[in-house]
Amino acid sequence: MAKGPVVLLTSAVVALAAAACSSSPSSPTGTSASSATTRTHGPEGSLGGSADTSTPAATLTGAGASSAQPFLTRAFYDYNRSNHNVSVNYSPTGSAVGISDIQANSVSFGQSEIPLSASDQAKAIGGAILQVPIDLGGVAISYNVPGAPRNLHLDGNQIAGIYLGSITDWHQIDSSIPLGTNIVAVHRADSSGPGYDLDQYLIDTSPTWVHAIGTTTASKTWPKANIGIGQQLNSGVANYVKQTSGAIGYVEYAYALQNNFTNAALLNESGTYVAPSIASIGAAGAHATNLSASNYNIVDEPGATSYPLVNFSWSLLYQKQTVTDSGIALGRLLDWVASTGQRNATALGYAPLPASVQAMAHTTLLQLEDQTGAALFTS
Amino acid sequence: MSALATPRDLESTWAPVRGVHELLERRRGRSSGRAYAAIRWAGAAIFAAVFVALLVVLSRDAAAALGHMGLSVVWKGWNPAKGEYGAGVFVVGTLLTTLVALIIAVPIGLGTAALLSELAPRWLASPLTVLVEFLAAIPSIVVGLWGLIVLTPVFAHRVEPFLKGVPGLNVVFHGQPLGASILLAGVVLAVMVLPTVVALSRVAMSGVAEADREAGLALAATRWQVTRKVVIPGARRGIRASVTLAMGRALGEAIAVAMVIGNNTAIPHSLLSPGATLGSAIVNSFSEANPGTLEKSGVVGLVVVLLAISVLVNAGGQVLLRTRKPPIPARGPVEGLAVAIGPVS
Repeated sequence: MAKGPVVLLTSAVVALAAAACSSSPSSPTGTSASSATTRTHGPEGSLGGSADTSTPAATLTGAGASSAQPFLTRAFYDYNRSNHNVSVNYSPTGSAVGISDIQANSVSFGQSEIPLSASDQAKAIGGAILQVPIDLGGVAISYNVPGAPRNLHLDGNQIAGIYLGSITDWHQIDSSIPLGTNIVAVHRADSSGPGYDLDQYLIDTSPTWVHAIGTTTASKTWPKANIGIGQQLNSGVANYVKQTSGAIGYVEYAYALQNNFTNAALLNESGTYVAPSIASIGAAGAHATNLSASNYNIVDEPGATSYPLVNFSWSLLYQKQTVTDSGIALGRLLDWVASTGQRNATALGYAPLPASVQAMAHTTLLQLEDQTGAALFTS
Repeated sequence: MSALATPRDLESTWAPVRGVHELLERRRGRSSGRAYAAIRWAGAAIFAAVFVALLVVLSRDAAAALGHMGLSVVWKGWNPAKGEYGAGVFVVGTLLTTLVALIIAVPIGLGTAALLSELAPRWLASPLTVLVEFLAAIPSIVVGLWGLIVLTPVFAHRVEPFLKGVPGLNVVFHGQPLGASILLAGVVLAVMVLPTVVALSRVAMSGVAEADREAGLALAATRWQVTRKVVIPGARRGIRASVTLAMGRALGEAIAVAMVIGNNTAIPHSLLSPGATLGSAIVNSFSEANPGTLEKSGVVGLVVVLLAISVLVNAGGQVLLRTRKPPIPARGPVEGLAVAIGPVS
């Protein structure tokens, strides 16, 4: 985040002081909050994320998107190393479980590749939910065709043809691949964020696809599960593509990178073929303007270098935190992950969040309140 | 008491103890019978209540989707994106995979059980029995992973192309060999239920009276004839139970099947087609279907269908096995054997 160290330090002091003040009436012990005021050095995130021992002790639980798991696991580990008080258990159960768990208030935060709709919000038992963008990921179209060129060019109609079963031979895609190389189209058997992104891209770019599925609303459940092979989670698709010659499948870019897959270059909105990479995912993310939980779709963004299949992953948490200490810990943790923690992104196959999105995450977290409705953080 | 106690002394020493004992006996006679009856009835009532509650809750949750689908639930496909929550394809997949599993597991299982119980020498039978019982304890996820990682490539490159090439078999084996298929799911299920078949049938076969066997041998039957005509008919009930249990496990297995079946919701046209079962569809869709939606209700609907199928198939199997006239035991195994092997020449 574009803030100087002085601003960081002062804002952290203010935040800590505010946290101590607001928490003392409701905090059962008050000891951890008061110790927070005495230790104010060394913060990295602007809510005081990495300030060792200043953050109240908390064990947080999160559940949801498996696409975000490689990044979150690493970020939480990193945070815990400099901040032993706070540990996080994250279960990669899938976006919808992340949503239902936070609705039922059974986790500290839920994680979803697609933000909550207004009707999902209404089912939350703990009041208003804050939605914080936490990583920027892409979806790779990976294939395993021995002898095929790298970064095969694919447009929406070709991918639609493959997943509708009308294109069945790799020779139809690229004439350098010998005739008779059968295509095995692999989709997600469970519902997924990557599936939603690809569905959205095909709806945007292929009239054939729209005609075949009969809707223009993207779905997390793969709409053409009656063609090809279905596998569970990113890891299942990756495994099947890896061991089956002729297979093509969609996986979170982090998983494609781990498996050293060959990925297709997709036709983007500006008419160029772009392969997934940190740079091209980041370029697409940079086009996210006025990002909010209701304006989240960044599939097929403009820009010659933008990769079309990208999305932000969202952390969902209650605005009103009933336990002040864990509320403070959670706010600082997510603020750190959305800013300093982004240093882990590139190596794992995610693009760092654009500065404007980091700022949006920060302002959203400033809305956190304790049980009495007083703000947990002031800046 | 002095060192030299007479029987009379002992008598007097034991008297109070006996009195307490008699008191206890009398009390137990009155109330323990009633208490035991109460426990029995409570146990039975809890079982019934759990089953009824299960049905009520599941049916209530499934009502929305079933109402939405009506009778088309039988033939429509599963496509939440289009608001279709049909169970037909999954029912076909479930029955097919179970059938394949039983066709493989029952003959092999009974053969192994007969070998262990009747034919193999003790030094071989004992370790083999332990091994089989050990196999029964392997969690299904382990078998599923083995199917996914080891068997899928082998089936894609070796087994399925071979089966396709066998003349006459291509009626059931045709299409692209993809590895993940109804056939592979059936094989994985067979591996999972095989130990159940072997362990239970072996116990049933060992339970056949030694006198029956000796009677058979006395009639000059060979060991194999005794096994086939005396032991297997005598162990009929245990074998039936083993097959029923195996079938139940095969019908309901979810995780391992989801890993190897290919999760395709089209009606399978061959055993090499990828497919889906009720269990695999439930495990794939349940966790990601948002609560309160029609999709969630549809998934619960699949649970109801699976429950119904398990009950129906089990009941059907029982009826079939009971009404079929038992060929030999009507006259007692040995008498039947004598008729079966004919006059001794």
